[in-house]
Amino acid sequence: MSTRPLVGALAALVLTASPVLAAEKPIVIGVPVGLSGANSVVAPSVVQAAELAVEEINAGGGVLGRKLALEVADDASGAAGAQKAFDALIYQKKVDVIIAMETSAARNAGLPAVTKGRVPYIYTSFYEGHSCNKNLFVNGWVPEQQVPPVIDAFAKDKNAKTYFLIGSDYAFGRGMLAFTRAYIEKTGAKVVGEEYLPMDGSDWTAIISKLKEAKPDALVTSTAGGAPNVTLTKQLRGAGVTLPYANLAVDEGTAKSMGKDADGIYLSASYVTGIDSPQNKAFLAAMEKKFGAGLRTPNDLSVPEYEAIYLYKAAVEKAGSTETAKVLAALPTVTATGPRGTIGMSKQHHAPLTMYLGQVQGDGSVKVVGTFKDVDPGEQCPKLD
Amino acid sequence: MLLLLDILTTAAILFVVAIGLLAVFGVLKIINFAHGAWLTIGAYCAVVTGKLGLNPWAALPIAFVVGAALGGLAEYVIIRPLYRRPLDAILATWGLGIVVGQLITLAFGRDVQLTPNLLSGTVEILGTGYSAYRLVALVAALVIGAVFALVIERTRLGLSARAVIMNETLARSLGLDTARVRLVVFMIGAGLAALAGVLLTPLTSVDPTMGVGWLIGAFMLVMVADTSFLALAAACLVFGAAQVLVSTFVSPVLGSIAVAVLAALVLRISPKGFSRA
Amino acid sequence: MPETVPAAGLAAARASGRPRLARAAPLAVALLAAMALWVAPLVLDTFAVNVLTRSMIYAVLAVTVDLLWGFAGILTFGQAAFFGIGAYATAMLLSAQGGAPHWMAAAAALAVVAPLLLGLAVGWLSFYHRSTPLYASVISLVVPIVVTQGIYSGGERTGSSSGLVGFDVLPLEIEGFFRLAAILLVVVTLAAWILVRSDAGRLLVALRDNEARCAYLGLNPRRLQIGLTAVLAGVAGLAGFVFANASGVVAPENAGFLFGTELVIWVALGGRGTLVGPVLGTIAIDYLAANLSGDLPFLWQLLLGTAFVAIIILLPGGLAELARRAVSVLPLGRRAAAPRLAARPARAAPRNEAPLLSVEGLAKSYGSLTVLESIDLTVRAGELVSLVGPNGAGKTTLMRCLSDGTEPFRGSVAVAGTATAGLTPNRIVALGVGRKFQVASVFESLSVAECLRLARAAHEAPSPLRRADILGLPQPVLDILRMTGLDALMAEPARLLSHGQKQALELAMVMALEPRIILLDEPTAGLTKAERTTIGTVLKGLAADLGIAVVLVEHDLDFVREISSRIVVLHQGRLVLDGTVEEVVGSALVRTIYAGGAHA
Repeated sequence: MSTRPLVGALAALVLTASPVLAAEKPIVIGVPVGLSGANSVVAPSVVQAAELAVEEINAGGGVLGRKLALEVADDASGAAGAQKAFDALIYQKKVDVIIAMETSAARNAGLPAVTKGRVPYIYTSFYEGHSCNKNLFVNGWVPEQQVPPVIDAFAKDKNAKTYFLIGSDYAFGRGMLAFTRAYIEKTGAKVVGEEYLPMDGSDWTAIISKLKEAKPDALVTSTAGGAPNVTLTKQLRGAGVTLPYANLAVDEGTAKSMGKDADGIYLSASYVTGIDSPQNKAFLAAMEKKFGAGLRTPNDLSVPEYEAIYLYKAAVEKAGSTETAKVLAALPTVTATGPRGTIGMSKQHHAPLTMYLGQVQGDGSVKVVGTFKDVDPGEQCPKLD
Repeated sequence: MLLLLDILTTAAILFVVAIGLLAVFGVLKIINFAHGAWLTIGAYCAVVTGKLGLNPWAALPIAFVVGAALGGLAEYVIIRPLYRRPLDAILATWGLGIVVGQLITLAFGRDVQLTPNLLSGTVEILGTGYSAYRLVALVAALVIGAVFALVIERTRLGLSARAVIMNETLARSLGLDTARVRLVVFMIGAGLAALAGVLLTPLTSVDPTMGVGWLIGAFMLVMVADTSFLALAAACLVFGAAQVLVSTFVSPVLGSIAVAVLAALVLRISPKGFSRA
Repeated sequence: MPETVPAAGLAAARASGRPRLARAAPLAVALLAAMALWVAPLVLDTFAVNVLTRSMIYAVLAVTVDLLWGFAGILTFGQAAFFGIGAYATAMLLSAQGGAPHWMAAAAALAVVAPLLLGLAVGWLSFYHRSTPLYASVISLVVPIVVTQGIYSGGERTGSSSGLVGFDVLPLEIEGFFRLAAILLVVVTLAAWILVRSDAGRLLVALRDNEARCAYLGLNPRRLQIGLTAVLAGVAGLAGFVFANASGVVAPENAGFLFGTELVIWVALGGRGTLVGPVLGTIAIDYLAANLSGDLPFLWQLLLGTAFVAIIILLPGGLAELARRAVSVLPLGRRAAAPRLAARPARAAPRNEAPLLSVEGLAKSYGSLTVLESIDLTVRAGELVSLVGPNGAGKTTLMRCLSDGTEPFRGSVAVAGTATAGLTPNRIVALGVGRKFQVASVFESLSVAECLRLARAAHEAPSPLRRADILGLPQPVLDILRMTGLDALMAEPARLLSHGQKQALELAMVMALEPRIILLDEPTAGLTKAERTTIGTVLKGLAADLGIAVVLVEHDLDFVREISSRIVVLHQGRLVLDGTVEEVVGSALVRTIYAGGAHA
């Protein structure tokens, strides 16, 4: 896995070296991701998605006659690493744009760099919302888009009146559950408990006992991705918790690593592999063909990366240049059609998205049990419109 | 009742995790900061056991043997030159932990690993279902504690270890091969850490950094227990209770740092910790 | 009473005058470094300028870690927490109030004061009488964990896991921040350099080498350690202020325990205890990481971890040690000159017949084991009292009870009328008690002159800026040095001295305290006959000429007979005989005890 960035760099090298490109410099896309640290589980799938997009676009003649090239850098899933990665990409590799999935800390650490370095930044991760910067665009979901489908479904199908909320004590966990609580209360239901454990905490015993005591109708969790999520789910199942359970932080890959503990979990996402559209099928086939056995399952973090590169292409073509000011002006006005459908970042630098309610099956696959068209991201950055 | 069970099982898990560290600290007077890495090694033994299709419980002996063997190697190469520099030993073992973590990452990848279930389901106690596995963990702690006590009290090795704990110079002058005792004890400590790693798999995610989160708590407990394993049991009960009670009645966030903060304060007030009582 | 250096000594010192150049060296190097760093942004590319700005700020932290760990022997992971608090104090204040100049000044002040106060608290928690270095390290681990948790739980105010971004910063371009960081680094390193080269700086090394000896020289190790922790916490906070401004973002990991360990790794690789090693090590490793880790994230960590382990085991002095060895091959080595010795007039000790030391009903037991029982003892000025008795009679325990009031015992001990119960050793030293240990307790890394200078530190505070050219010592100390030949070895590191020389050095250090009572535990153990005679002569002189009360534990009965004015016999924790030499030597009881088998 660690060889991936090398392969990426090599691919970029090969591409830049091919004779067609001798005429003009390629457009360089910087991808800072967490190759090490918390995000390193998902990062390789993001890099793969970016590689496919670049390959497809170059095969189709590039952008404004120029080829695309990728520069991947490790942000170590944190602020200090992101500072190095952004500096390296902006000042050393002279990238034209940054398109990446990162932790919120890494994104925040990158913002001063893209502002000073005058580079557009498309953030392709779902996050807790309200990150505003004139250079920043987001095509992943925010709580306003993800939470309502789950709560609505629980209210309707499970007749849930009381909820228990559990999260990791960090910006995403708290942000998601704050919105969830507000939304639950708006619909007239009640939150009977809201508990947090530190991100690196591994003992959920007391919280689970409180949950069992509170006897809610449904459970909503929003932990840090990966390890804490798996730990919580294992301990929940160990304690025999079988409530309707929505996990706001689970993706298909993590669900698989939980084995049968994940069975029955609800999740809400803008992408699941089971989306039944020609674009998605073509995308999955192309990924399979390009990466074969080394393929990392595409997911809600890697697909937006793929689509964001197409969005950038559209913006550059509309602007007629890679000049930052022009690209930033064009970005909110363009759309691109990909596995998740036709998407544009038209709403205060954020994107209205079609959301899917899924349920994890016994074999680890995710079945789509509900589709919600063009859910609005709400008021994210009113000052930017 | 539920609260009491939570306290007992939490203390049991803390005890299982910390006992290997205690053995090493007692005899070698060295804090093994690679302890977390050995927990991880144990958990990955469970992963491999699962992949080989063996009975999940077979992971326990396998992990103990693998952990002890690797521990022996580490003792020989890294710990031995640092007996006279205990603070440097902390650093070197911390570095060793980093190295082990990266090697595991290179071999298995960063992903969270799926491990076979040792035991699932719940047991009906006083009208509520309680996690069966947590009760198993309680039994495991009692068994490990009992075996540990037997080894200390009834075997030649235990006698030698106690002699080294009390007065190493004297033990050596009486013809005891103290270097050998240290090697064997370090191997046992490492083996116990790996064993604890397997026992943790049903409770936590298995990934290359899983051990770090347990390290500080175990470390603080051992500092409070000094070299006595009975004191360790007491410390696990008291701080486990504190953790559960603070988590239940105040905030889980405070609960999770309760062990570290309380242990630091206990040590400030009574530098010998619980071992004096 | 003002103490004066004889004019002749001063003049001699001035005449010999160590070259001013050598003393100005740190300043000159710092000036050159500052100038080079000032122009560096003009030649470096933007990437390097940005990365090095942060590397230099981290290097400031490395200097503080090196002072604490490399020099004072306090292994700390906590500097990251103080740095983080400085950075967050800055970011939070500027987020709330904006970056107007007065708020900027307030942020800088807060960034220093907040960590400083926490540093005081942490110091108080970490260092107390009989605390262990391991305990201090434990606390330094807990601090960043608690601080990080606080940041996570801070919600909007601290930005939780996402950190804070978008606050106003100093109106500088990236070159400006580079220069700001460079100035901070040069100033902090220069200050540290001047400190460790100064006489006061040797105090840090003394703390690392032998904390107990520091206390028994009347210095308060706790106060020094707490003060050092607090001041360096403030420096780390200032670095945090510059960091928050230069990077425009702060994150929980800046305060975290992992960052704390990283700092230690950098210092270890660069070479602890060398200042320059950690600075260059930090900058090089951090810069290299920025260039390499993107390509090989896991391999990079693996290499760094392996190098760290290898360095700790094989090369504790780090890369600086390697460089030093390489340079020492060249014929450039020079040892710092020792200061000139000068006599200080002896303190006029009022001589009266009131007992200097009175012990009443002293008893001590460990659990059910009684070690001392109803000891009554009075010692007056000018007496030379020997404590004799077989092994296990409680002699050393008695010495400990006399010199450390925190030792739990019953009964009372008074020095010149002041009860010592509850007093730490350094406060008992202040009452005029000097203690020499059984195994010579000196500062192994320091030179003979430095050891003696520290022995005077409680009387005259050593300068934190410079090395004095003159070492003023009381006449008796000079006599001891002359008689034992130590005066010719002033620049020699104490660890290279012979066993007997170390004993003599320790005695000289104790005498440099100008004590009224000295407690000596087997001062002649392992010495040659000649050395024994010398020590005997010295002791007799001290008691007879200066009226110092000497209490010594001794096994060599011939020696005891020769020098003592009184002999006290301890047996099985009881004082069985207290009389003149003749009385004791002639006693049948003593003969029985030494023949064994007596049960008094």
